[in-house]
Formats: sequence, structure tokens, C-alpha cells
Amino acid sequence: MSVAEATVAPARPAGRVSGRHLLILPALAVLVVFFVAPYLNLLLISVMTPSPRAAYLRVLTLDNYARLVRDPFTWSVVWHTMWLGMATTALSLVLAYPLAYHLARSPRGARGALMVLVISPLLVGVLIRTYGWMILLQDTGLINQLLRALGLRTVPLMYNNLGVLIGLTHVFIPFMVLSIAGTIQGVDPELELAARSLGAGAWRAFWRVTFPLSLPGVIAGTVLVFVLTVSSYVIPSLLGGFTVLTIPILVVRTITELFNWPGGSALAILFFAITLGALWVYLRLAGRTGRTT
Amino acid sequence: MASLRLQGLTKRFGDVVAVHELTLEVPSGELVALLGPSGCGKTTTLRMVAGFDVPTRGRIVLGDRDITADPPERRDCGMVFQHYALFPHLTVEQNVAFGLEMRGLRRPDVERRVGEILERVGLGGLGRRYPRQLSGGQQQRTALARALVISPRVLLLDEPLANLDAKLREEMRFYIRSLQREFHITTLYVTHDQAEALVLADRVAVLMNGRLQQVGAPEEIYHRPRTPAVAAFIGLTNLLPGRVTGRSGERLVLETPAGTVRAAGAPDLREGMEAMLSVRPEHIELDRPGEPASRDGVNRLRGVVQERTFLGSLIDFRVDVGGGVLLRVQGRGGAPQRVGEQVSVSFDTTAAWALPRREG
Ligand SMILES: Nc1ncnc2c1ncn2[C@@H]1O[C@H](COP(=O)(O)OP(=O)(O)OP(=O)(O)O)[C@@H](O)[C@H]1O
Ligand SMILES: [Mg+2]
Repeated sequence: MSVAEATVAPARPAGRVSGRHLLILPALAVLVVFFVAPYLNLLLISVMTPSPRAAYLRVLTLDNYARLVRDPFTWSVVWHTMWLGMATTALSLVLAYPLAYHLARSPRGARGALMVLVISPLLVGVLIRTYGWMILLQDTGLINQLLRALGLRTVPLMYNNLGVLIGLTHVFIPFMVLSIAGTIQGVDPELELAARSLGAGAWRAFWRVTFPLSLPGVIAGTVLVFVLTVSSYVIPSLLGGFTVLTIPILVVRTITELFNWPGGSALAILFFAITLGALWVYLRLAGRTGRTT
Repeated sequence: MASLRLQGLTKRFGDVVAVHELTLEVPSGELVALLGPSGCGKTTTLRMVAGFDVPTRGRIVLGDRDITADPPERRDCGMVFQHYALFPHLTVEQNVAFGLEMRGLRRPDVERRVGEILERVGLGGLGRRYPRQLSGGQQQRTALARALVISPRVLLLDEPLANLDAKLREEMRFYIRSLQREFHITTLYVTHDQAEALVLADRVAVLMNGRLQQVGAPEEIYHRPRTPAVAAFIGLTNLLPGRVTGRSGERLVLETPAGTVRAAGAPDLREGMEAMLSVRPEHIELDRPGEPASRDGVNRLRGVVQERTFLGSLIDFRVDVGGGVLLRVQGRGGAPQRVGEQVSVSFDTTAAWALPRREG
């Protein structure tokens, strides 16, 4: 019951529901339905006393939290996980938006084929996919062999943040593309034409009309990808080796290597709270800018 | 103001020829209605003028400039879309201000002009609303205001009234007409509603299957259609096949299955030619059966009432005049004729219009 890869998220966020706050419902539903029960259990364990002999002693304490909060190491890992989440989300957004736009605006026939291509990363199991990346990215991998053959310097692409970023973006980008494509499909192409005939160039028409109207999809997509990223375990641990430490990895290690169930649980709960807080701030900000554009 | 000229405009989508060799002029300050049934290429034509579609062939000239290759934003066309295409995330004011902002006007000027035009179209006080908070008619006027406020060189309207209820449609017809006159703006008005075209337009251009059938003043289109298709499309009419057998003064003499009829006719009709006779139901009168021979200036046929339908101010008859011809006749409310009654059917020779029968 670690905070493992959450591939259970619905792939079809409600693109056309009005009121952008409803759009976080899919992400919220994932959090609530699939995490509440295990988390309640976690919550309970997190206030028990650690013990070297049993999983924990049935003695209530807040010590686990106090120790975590006071430890700067906790905060550095929290920050690093958040950073990875934001970087993956940002990279996915930048890559996904043009793709989503293209997808939403292509003729019906082509759209189906493109859709299959977009979700193809999800059709391969996480381990196989990750090993695939390892073949490409490692120091003796395809990319570096190519660089060497061309007489260039090799670039460390694995066992560092870059490798993790690439791996995470690859898996989670479909969620971003589908969220955004859904909303763009709901934006009448005639609106952009109307803007054009009123004197806006193609670029300006896009920024003033299509983009603001696609924001609900952008918000849903970014929330989804962020949540999936900060809770992912397999990709950061395989592609990151021992150099990349995120909260899920730390939670698993605390429990499986230090056998500290209460400590690991407390960390998971703490991070859950921080993630919720961050999302809350993000949605507030997004809601505000959404209203002023 | 500028005139709009379409020269040999053609648009193909794969094998479909949506518009074929369309040549049409909208004189400066006039309103030309592009009229035709669904799928005849009206929207395609408008989209080419607005710059949304690239013509396969032909040229578009606005004033003295060839704009065929210009992008939409440099054409200065005010477009009103069939479904209005208002920006849902902007208020009425912001929608209307959009074009002015794109033209780089200063804030106070934008506000003044937006205020003026909203007042003019009767939307003063609704500026802060979002399109979804407006009725159909209000959305329609917002779309008009948004197109007019930029003082476009040509106004393009794509079935602007198609989504309104009948009563509002009637009102808006006159309203659009008066706005167009007031702004003296060159206008191409697309519609499939012939009544709308006749009421609104200085000139009506009838388009069918992507081909221009006839251009002319509303009266001319209505009374002197040049092809059977136009005659059938504009208003109600009776079409009878016939053959020109001679002339009698100003009139042509035609032999029809229902008898001999004298009619005005297109100048290119010659003796011996196959023709089509068009007689409007409202131009036909029913009387007691009397003298069957035609008097000067009046055609008279004998018939039997087959059907009688009450339409309020009118009564719609179908009268069998022999030769397998059922004539549709519209009489005034109190018309006494009953089904099965023998009647005399008469119409002026000037009200009968003969046109050449060709295929296509
Ligand atoms: N993008 C397109 N691709 C292929 N065919 C098209 C396209 N746009 C229009 N057509 C075809 O061109 C013809 C004319 O279409 P158009 O939309 O101009 O008709 P319309 O006169 O505006 O009809 P309506 O009154 O129904 O709006 C139709 O046969 C239509 O199917
Ligand atoms: Mg159309």
C-alpha cells in the first residue's frame, strides 16, 4: 500500500462541464475513492509508536510528525518531489498543448488514429516501458552510443533528474493531451475565425480566444499530471537510481528498510496534506487569472 | 464605402463543386441577398469573401483592391455568423470592443464607440452581460454590433435570422435594413428564405447548385424569373409545361395541357420552343362558370375545385383544369367555392410568365 503508480485515473476528464471547479472532480475522485480508505489506515498507524519488534506499538503519539517537521531533510525531499512534479507538469503542458490542438482540430477519421498514438505509452506496462527508456538513456545506451559515434561528448541521461523527468513526462503526457484536446474540441472553430475577421492575426486570435477557453482543460490536465507525478514510485526509483529521492521512495524505504511503519505513514500523510494545500493554492490562482482574461 | 466584386469565383472540395464560376457585384452601399436552397454554396461563397476559404479559381475585388490572397484580418469584412460566434468568455462590451482593440484604438475611444453602437442596437445597459445571459435576439444584435463597430468595408451576414422565432425574425428584417441604410454599408446577405431576401435586398442573386441563376431587383426576380427553378423557388407558383405556338401582339400564345394561354414571356422565347408557364396562385381568380373563351388581356379556363384549405386570411384551392393539371389558387378569406364545384379560372395575360424550358 505504498504510494505507487496511480494508473487508475480516468482518462476522460469532463471537458465540457461548465464551471471550471467541476473540472477537478475526476482528479479529486481519484484521490478520494482510491486513497481515502488506505489513507485512513495510514493515518491511524502514523500516530502509533514505532517499535523494533512489532510493526508498531498501540500507543498514541505525535512524535512521528514532530520529528519529520523538524528535520530539514524531510523538507528538502518534499521540495525536490514538488519540483519534479512541477517540471514534469510544465514539460508535459508545453509538449501536449500543440498536440492537443492539432488532435482536436483534425478531421474525425485522423483523430481516432492520433488518439491511439497519444495513449500508446499507456498500453505498455510501466516496467517494460521504463526498461525501454533505460536502453535508450543509459551511458552505454542508444543515444550516447550515437553521440560517441558522432565524436561528441556523452550526456548522463540516466540515474539523474533528467532521466526521471523524461520517463515521467512520457507516461503522463496522454492525460494532459486528452484533457486539453477535450476542451479545445468544445471550442467552436468559428470563434477563431470571428477573431480573425475582426482584425486579429492567427496567433493573436489563438491567445485571445481559443487559449482562454481551453483553460479548464489545461487546469484539469496539470492537476492530473502533477498528482500522478508526485505520487509515482516505479519510474523515479528505476530511472533515478539512488541519486533521485522523492517522497514515495522515501516512504517505501522508511517502511521496508527501517521497518518504521509509523514514521513512513506519517511522512505519507504529511505529504498528502502538502499536496492538497499546493493544489488548493494553484486552483485559487488559476481561477483568478481565468476570470480576468 | 466600396463595392464588392466576385469574378469567376469557384470552390471545389475534392469532387464536390460547391461554387461554380460565380460572378457577382455588390455595388457600394447596396444590400445584395444571396439566395438559394440549403447546400447551394452560400456559406462557401461568404467564407471565401471573408478569407476563411481559399477559392479554387477566381478573384475577389473590394473597392479597387484585389483581396483574393489577403488573410482574413486584412480584409476589413464585418462578418455575422449564423450561430453568431460570440466569444463566450467575454462580456457584450468586450465582444464588441474586440475589433477596435485589434485596430489599436485608445481605451477612451474604444469605450465611446462601443457605448454608441450598443445604444444604437438597443443593447445599452446589457454591456456587462455574458453572451449566455442574452436572449437569441440580443445575441444577434451583439453580433451585428461587433461587426458594425469596426466600420467594415463590407458587411457579410450568414443567415443571421435563421435561429430566431418567426415574429422576431420579421422585426429584425426591418431593423437590419434600417441599420444597413443608416450606415450605408455594402452588404452581402446570405439566406435561404426568399421572403427575407425580397424584403431586404436591393438586388437578389439566386444561387443553385453552386451556379448563379439570376440577379435582379426583388420584383424582377419574383415576377420575371428566368428559369423554372428560380420560379419554383421564389414564392408559390404554378408551373405548366407548354409550347409556344405564336404571338398575339405583346403576348406569346402557348399550348398547354389545360388549354391555350396567352402570356408575357422572356425575350429569347421563339415560336415552336418548349416553354414553362408560371402563374402565381394569388393572381388567379375563381368565378362562376361562364364564358369559357378568353377575353382580351385575360386567360380563362374551366375547372373543378378539388381541395379547399382554410389558411386564415386566405383560402387555398386546388383546381383541376383538365389535362392532368392541378392549379393552386389563393382566394380571399370569404371565397365561397366548395369542393366539387365547377368554376371559371381566370388570370391576366400579364400575370402569366413564360420561360424557356431547359434542363439543368
Ligand atoms: N469543408 C468542406 N468539405 C467538403 N465539402 C464541403 C465543405 N464545405 C462545404 N461543402 C459542400 O459544399 C456545398 C455547399 O456548402 P455550403 O455550406 O456553402 O452550403 P449553404 O448554401 O451555405 O447551405 P446551408 O443553407 O445549408 O447553410 C455542399 O454540398 C457542402 O456539402
Ligand atoms: Mg450555410
